[in-house]
Amino acid sequence: MTGTLLFQSLVLGVLLGGLYALLAAGLTLYFGVMRVVMIAHSAFLILAAYLAWFFNQQTGMDPLLSLVVTVPLFFLVGVGMQRLLITRLRPATLTMMSVLLTFAVALFIEGMIGFVWSGTQRRIQLPYSSASVEFFGAHIAVVKLVAFALAALSLALLYLIMKHSRFGQALRATIQHSEAAQLVGIKTDRVAGFGFGLGLATAAIGGTALSLDATIYPSLHWHWIGPLMAIIVVGGLGSIPGAAIAAMVLGIGQSLLQVPLGTTWAQTIFYVALFVTLMLRPQGFFGGRLAQRF
Amino acid sequence: MPNASDTRHPTSTAGSPAVTATEPTGTGATGSGTNRTWRRVARVVALVVCAALVLAFPELAPNAYILSAGIVVASYACTATAWNFMGGFTGYVSLGHAAFFGLGAYGTAILIRDLGLPSFVAWLLAGLLVLLITIPLGIAALRVRGASFVIVSISFVLILLLVFQGWGSFTGGSDGLVVPRPFPDLLRPEHHRVFFYLFAALLAAMLLAWWAIDRSRFGTGLKAVREDEDKAQALGVPTRNYKLVAYVVSATFTALAGGMYALWFGDLDPIFQFSIMLGSYMVLMALFGGVRHLYGPLLGAVVVGVGLEYFKLEFGDTQLHLVATALLLGLVVLFMPDGLIPAAQALVKRFGPQDSSIREVTAAELLERNRAASGTAGTTDGDRDEPADAAGTGRSEGDASTGGDR
Repeated sequence: MTGTLLFQSLVLGVLLGGLYALLAAGLTLYFGVMRVVMIAHSAFLILAAYLAWFFNQQTGMDPLLSLVVTVPLFFLVGVGMQRLLITRLRPATLTMMSVLLTFAVALFIEGMIGFVWSGTQRRIQLPYSSASVEFFGAHIAVVKLVAFALAALSLALLYLIMKHSRFGQALRATIQHSEAAQLVGIKTDRVAGFGFGLGLATAAIGGTALSLDATIYPSLHWHWIGPLMAIIVVGGLGSIPGAAIAAMVLGIGQSLLQVPLGTTWAQTIFYVALFVTLMLRPQGFFGGRLAQRF
Repeated sequence: MPNASDTRHPTSTAGSPAVTATEPTGTGATGSGTNRTWRRVARVVALVVCAALVLAFPELAPNAYILSAGIVVASYACTATAWNFMGGFTGYVSLGHAAFFGLGAYGTAILIRDLGLPSFVAWLLAGLLVLLITIPLGIAALRVRGASFVIVSISFVLILLLVFQGWGSFTGGSDGLVVPRPFPDLLRPEHHRVFFYLFAALLAAMLLAWWAIDRSRFGTGLKAVREDEDKAQALGVPTRNYKLVAYVVSATFTALAGGMYALWFGDLDPIFQFSIMLGSYMVLMALFGGVRHLYGPLLGAVVVGVGLEYFKLEFGDTQLHLVATALLLGLVVLFMPDGLIPAAQALVKRFGPQDSSIREVTAAELLERNRAASGTAGTTDGDRDEPADAAGTGRSEGDASTGGDR
């Protein structure tokens, strides 16, 4: 019994870790391009989940189709946010003030969701909601598989964009050294805006994936931001592979701990990992030069 | 500095007249001396009037609701001022000070419940416990700067929320925890009145401590950390220890405010004690008033706290107070990051009679003045090795003004 249970939670952990990895990659992008810790990331995640729910509610179509609208929308919002809000802050206090600014954005989104759709808990009912597949003795809900596939696909796409497109090269150059990037002719302002939009697009995808099998309510984002922040610190601020690895490890750890400890205590693994990281390697386990001073 | 003792005597005799001579030339007239005493008198009068208003508030309050709202605002003022020990001096923004508030509140309640201690002994002991807990926490949290520090501070609140909800047998969990009232035979309005004065006393103690640190060498070191931590370290400021002490002081005062709140309110719930909102209110209030000023957080707490209470009264349970808080925080961060007090001062300076952007001196006069200034700077240069405090405060003022220009 314990063997299958262990395997089951291992698989669930991998599926959860995929979603964490996608979202943490988005957070890392913001940090990379602008040195901004985006507290509102998980609020946008929940907003996307609400939009997916609303879309499903109004049209009766599959919530995944809402991606067609939410991804470009969130991309534009991200670009707008970077151009209109973040760049207005003084460079000297950018890191601290941007935290407060994005915190304000998160509160605003939470408040508006609560105002428009009320604080009631919402859940999407799908024909395949209760379906599950048998996989070497482990029962995996189809919706979790869909969510994972979506996350993995977007992460792969993000990887391809970052590694093999001209824009990705420009983005990475901006992250590595924005002045040098400017010198070789990259319009770093524009690239940073697009990087921000790209990060927010991951929140749209993650939120839609989340809406498939989670009960959502306005203040849910606080339960996501803590783990995500812990992940990017453990992985090393600014390192996308580091964030992905840390997300996988911690997601699996959380899932395994849920069996003996229950959900509430299992979440503490993120914070334990955070403090262990701070004591042993404050720059994170995979962080490079970027993480040194933040 | 091997020759510090050699230069001290000659320069102090030569230097001090030079210093006193430069004072009037700075503003151009001997009237500045009387101007300064007037300003000091005005400040004392304002302080006395404000203190009298605060003390008279329970008498002026028309009903018990206004009085209890006043206590809430006073507790906000306490937490915001306590936050400012860290946020204002060192520039480290902690969004998670609610953790210490909750620890103080729960610590007080649990000490009364389990050990049967008298209320205010438990309150002090809870503050002491938080002080001890904060030392290792601070050592861990202060290993990182900037963004990571904010993340860590938020995680304090989230983790304590999880622990206090999960450990129901000890903390009462989501059912809440009832705190025995310290004065069981007082009626409700009397109870409010006593606690208003207790909060006011706590606030006065904090303001006094902030003022003392502000003027001390320790405070100067903390401000050096705020302006440029690497340079401060290079100049020999023991940055880690200074930050740790500031953090511990800030956390302990927050915990004392939390314990006082627990004694007053009498009912604790993890959701409300370990709430990110509470931590963000502290930051918003301190930033709104101005983190570099003694009364900044107090002013912010009065304005924002009254606004919050009004919003809760008008719109009840809707989520609109979140939206209002968010908009206010966003506006403050974008347009008034130094706070209301500096913004008002800048406004006065802009429309006031003294400073005009066009210089009302000829180039020759300016040259003369610059020459005189560089001359006195030359003599005061050797003066640096004199009383360390004087040099320190002088430098910090210079730093503050350049910081403002940036």
